[in-house]
Amino acid sequence: MTATAATSSRRRRRLAGAGAVVRRRLMVAVPVLAATSVGMFVLGAASPIDPAQQYAGAAAFTTSEENLAQIRANWGVDDPLPVQYARWVGNLLRGDLGWSTSRHEPVTDVLAARAGWTLLLVGAALALVLAASLLLGTLAAYRRGGWFDRTLRAGAYAVQSMPVFWLGLAAIAVFALALGWLPAGGLTDVTATGTHPADVARHLVLPVTVLAVSQAPWFVLFVRDTVAESLRDDHVLAARARGLPGRTVLFGHALRTALLPFLTLVGTHLPELVGGAVLVETVFSLPGLGAVTVQAALGGDFPLLAATTLATTVVVLTANLLTDLAYAAADPRVRLDD
Amino acid sequence: MTDLALPARLRRPAFRPGIALASVVLVGAVAACLAAPLLWPLDESAVDLARIRLAPSWEHLAGTDDLGRDVAHRSLYGLRVSLLVGAVAAVVAAVVGGLVGTVAATCGGRVDRALMRVVDTIAALPHLLLGIFIVAMLRPSLGAVVLSIGLTHWLSTARIVRAELLSLRTRPFVDAAVAGGASRARVLTRHLLPHVLPRLALATTLMVPHAVWHETALSFLGLGLPPHLASLGNMINDGQRSLLTGAWWASLVPGLLLVAVTLALAALAGRWRDRLDPRVRAELHL
Amino acid sequence: MGTPLSSRTATLVVAALLVAAGCSSPAATSPAAGGAGTLVVATAGEPDTLNPVLNYGVDGGSLIFDGLVARDGRNRPVPALARELPTVSPDGRTVTATLREGVRFHDGSPLTAQDVVFTYQAVLDPKVDSTLRSDLDVLASVAAPDPSTVVFRLKYAYAPFLQRLTLGIVPARALAGQDINQAGFNRRPVGTGPYRVTSWTPGDRLVLAANEAYWGGRPANSGVVVAFVADDNVRAQRMRAGEFDAAELAPKLASGFDRQAGYRVERVPTADYRGVMLPMGNPVTGDVAVRRALTAAVDRQAMVTGVLGGAGEPAFGPIPPSSEFAAPSTTGTATADPATATATLDAAGWRPGPDGIRVRDGRPAAFTLMYPATDSLRKELALAVTADAKKIGIRITPEGLTWDAITPRMRTDALVMGYGTPYDPDFVSYKLFGSAFAGQGFFNPGSYRSPVVDKALQDGRDNADPAARRAAYAIFQQQLATDVPWVFLTYLQHTYVVRDTVAGVTPRVEPHEHDVANSLWWNIHTWTKTS
Repeated sequence: MTATAATSSRRRRRLAGAGAVVRRRLMVAVPVLAATSVGMFVLGAASPIDPAQQYAGAAAFTTSEENLAQIRANWGVDDPLPVQYARWVGNLLRGDLGWSTSRHEPVTDVLAARAGWTLLLVGAALALVLAASLLLGTLAAYRRGGWFDRTLRAGAYAVQSMPVFWLGLAAIAVFALALGWLPAGGLTDVTATGTHPADVARHLVLPVTVLAVSQAPWFVLFVRDTVAESLRDDHVLAARARGLPGRTVLFGHALRTALLPFLTLVGTHLPELVGGAVLVETVFSLPGLGAVTVQAALGGDFPLLAATTLATTVVVLTANLLTDLAYAAADPRVRLDD
Repeated sequence: MTDLALPARLRRPAFRPGIALASVVLVGAVAACLAAPLLWPLDESAVDLARIRLAPSWEHLAGTDDLGRDVAHRSLYGLRVSLLVGAVAAVVAAVVGGLVGTVAATCGGRVDRALMRVVDTIAALPHLLLGIFIVAMLRPSLGAVVLSIGLTHWLSTARIVRAELLSLRTRPFVDAAVAGGASRARVLTRHLLPHVLPRLALATTLMVPHAVWHETALSFLGLGLPPHLASLGNMINDGQRSLLTGAWWASLVPGLLLVAVTLALAALAGRWRDRLDPRVRAELHL
Repeated sequence: MGTPLSSRTATLVVAALLVAAGCSSPAATSPAAGGAGTLVVATAGEPDTLNPVLNYGVDGGSLIFDGLVARDGRNRPVPALARELPTVSPDGRTVTATLREGVRFHDGSPLTAQDVVFTYQAVLDPKVDSTLRSDLDVLASVAAPDPSTVVFRLKYAYAPFLQRLTLGIVPARALAGQDINQAGFNRRPVGTGPYRVTSWTPGDRLVLAANEAYWGGRPANSGVVVAFVADDNVRAQRMRAGEFDAAELAPKLASGFDRQAGYRVERVPTADYRGVMLPMGNPVTGDVAVRRALTAAVDRQAMVTGVLGGAGEPAFGPIPPSSEFAAPSTTGTATADPATATATLDAAGWRPGPDGIRVRDGRPAAFTLMYPATDSLRKELALAVTADAKKIGIRITPEGLTWDAITPRMRTDALVMGYGTPYDPDFVSYKLFGSAFAGQGFFNPGSYRSPVVDKALQDGRDNADPAARRAAYAIFQQQLATDVPWVFLTYLQHTYVVRDTVAGVTPRVEPHEHDVANSLWWNIHTWTKTS
């Protein structure tokens, strides 16, 4: 009775602390987002890129200067920077993210149509890389120095040095062309009329795996090293000395100790994963956010660039918050309200 | 099973046979890079459209590419350029990161919190996108690529240096120095920095392969080094286009060179890390 | 505690992502597309918009729209929405078109002269972000005296005006009173063409369904899917995997299909040239001897074979050999002629220096050659020119740059450029070589000035008589060959891989720009597929 009462009161305290941590994170998030958006605009103003010329594309060749100047005037891109920024923030508060000059559609439409696929790609790759790295890293640490450990480490270093688009093309060459098991690109079959989940899943196997493999070395090596480290910890040695079976010691004690720093790594590595997604989307011609972001950067499309940067920042900040909460939940030593 | 009970350090020889090989690869690569301009100068404009996509032979050890240029020759120069870009970018990152980390750790308080907030903010943005943006701003060139890599990769260094300095501060020898009346600057330069420098050097070394990787990614998106310049990234991209036409050697050779040198660097850096502090946890999220 | 928690979190995250992705499925579901008789084509270039007013498929072949005039397999104007070819008044300044009867838009509404007027007025409206306005700067006004007649009034007589009437006509009702720049119409347009748009997923595909009520006869297939695959390798691999009926591929990749059973390669001639623009503002390229030496020194045949994989032909001027206005007498030799080149340089006083680079009055024969960094074809041409120039003692430094870095330097630094249209010699050349446009952005960036060329270009524009025009453009080409403001290198061939099961493919000479519109599939509504 008393024990459960104590537990539940502890849990209540912890939940109360969670509210505080969310509040505190939000108080940090708002200035970070504001600073990011101002930074984007300042960089944009300093940029030599002429959005009107980018908009015209090959037609710039037959388009007169007055024609381009009129387009720039229509967009207001030559207005003073504070005016542009105030207009952008004003529209943002009304839920209008502006007009994408490189995509020729509202920024909200670009995000709505594409963000989901990028999130799906990144999310699935993250899930895969987490599961695989925890398993493989732990096994390597358990037999460290053995052939499995050595192969895994060598493989990890090799993959680390391979450009992700290279892995992608190799995967297409092997699994799509030589073996014919999986489609080489796209989101659905070309003649498909909708987005059937099974069809999409089949098309996402290669991109998700390639993205996961390309990001895996960091996670695998980290897990391997931390688990190897914790295998030397007193409490793990004690558990072994108590005669607990190896598997229990490995997964129950050593891996658990290694999990906490691992959570931090996941949080800090998320932006890298998004960067990899840009390349993977390019190679597999997926209609995600990555490709349009590159296009926006090259085309001086600041409404879209600002929106994708802000969206990415929001995702990463949210992930950091979740990491904090998970960290606190997993480690009783961390108090949320401190 | 039994090795669980063994002291871990006894089971450390992992990768050691590789160390010798790695040293040979790295020394050989660096020597070849240094000697190449003297022994075998490269003419960037040596295009020969009559000899395109020749398979490897005695005359062209690694074949020729789409424009009839010798792949082995260009790979060597590519390695030179890529290693140079990687090393300079890593040093830029180390200097920026080292400064920020030192300032944050020694000033503490508000300054520390503010700097770390900046680090967190930048860390929340994808490196590649940030790098693309920097290159787009500066227009693609050697300097822009170096800056783009350097300015996006200093965050982890800053964190490492700061953490190291903070942990050193609580050590007895620092207390002793402070009690002995040493100034703040003196404690920093005489007692703290010597301990941090090896760690900083290690982080920098581990960053070189990553910087080379970043260069290839930028090149793939058309934002890297000038595309006619022999760099490993450019060569892999060019060669990748000829993969389907059967000229596998044009991208495989520079690719293998990249992987071999990266592996050698990583293996040596890993060994160095173990020597430096066998119990330290690796900082791998570069 | 750790493991179950983190895996639970991961599951939740993935589930949330799946929900989020599912909510925003970009491809609309429609029963009309797909199934038997649907052709799938793949291309790299994706249009930014599907609205002709904003520069989609303005030269015809747009699949979704029709202009008053269309072009046949030999690029000659033929009547489309106009009942017959529009008539031009004797002073050349009034053009009258009578509309075909009974034409309906995809939404069932009838086509009237008001729609035509609206379309052209929208292009001229300064509030509309249309880059076409520069092309129609000849147009003073457009009016509809009755529902089936359209009258264009021109500011000056303009011989090729009929060629500008290929612009697709949009329904006024669907766009009137809206901001055309941001209208939903630009994504889901309504036209009169052989296909109507079912869905467009940018970055992925455009799904078109046959317009059963097409005025030109019902399409021979039930629909078309245009897949947008930016990367050449990926497109080639997906073609090989059997996903497409036809795909545009880089020449070297396409030749891989030459020996493959079940496929054939179409090499389509184009008016799409590549050349080196030599600015007059540079002391080295400003010397006509250097320019003449360069045009003699380049090995165009080797570029066609080596760089283009055989898919091209040597170029000597801006008017393609397929054009009725081409002057064969201005054609030079396809292979390098270093003897002529060195003799030209020697005669002009450029003497070889100690390092093999020629020098005159202490100035080395060296200049920078810019190329857009993302264009690997132009990079390879730049390097080939560099190698050829070195053989005659001219040092070129290639520089790969972004366009925004290139544009401010075009007055003084050479540039690998490319463009070209098969339709009328006036279209690009008038601005590219006319002295009135010297130094204006991409119009005549090298500030080439020749009174002879100016007069010839003006004559070609003013004269309606084809023979007089041919004579004018012959003078124009002759003068370009003499002055060499550009070293023309090659005309490209656009290469496509087509499955043998597809019938009805009739290539026609293509312009520089080709994606959904104006590609091999300009007449895909007559294609059939046997399975």
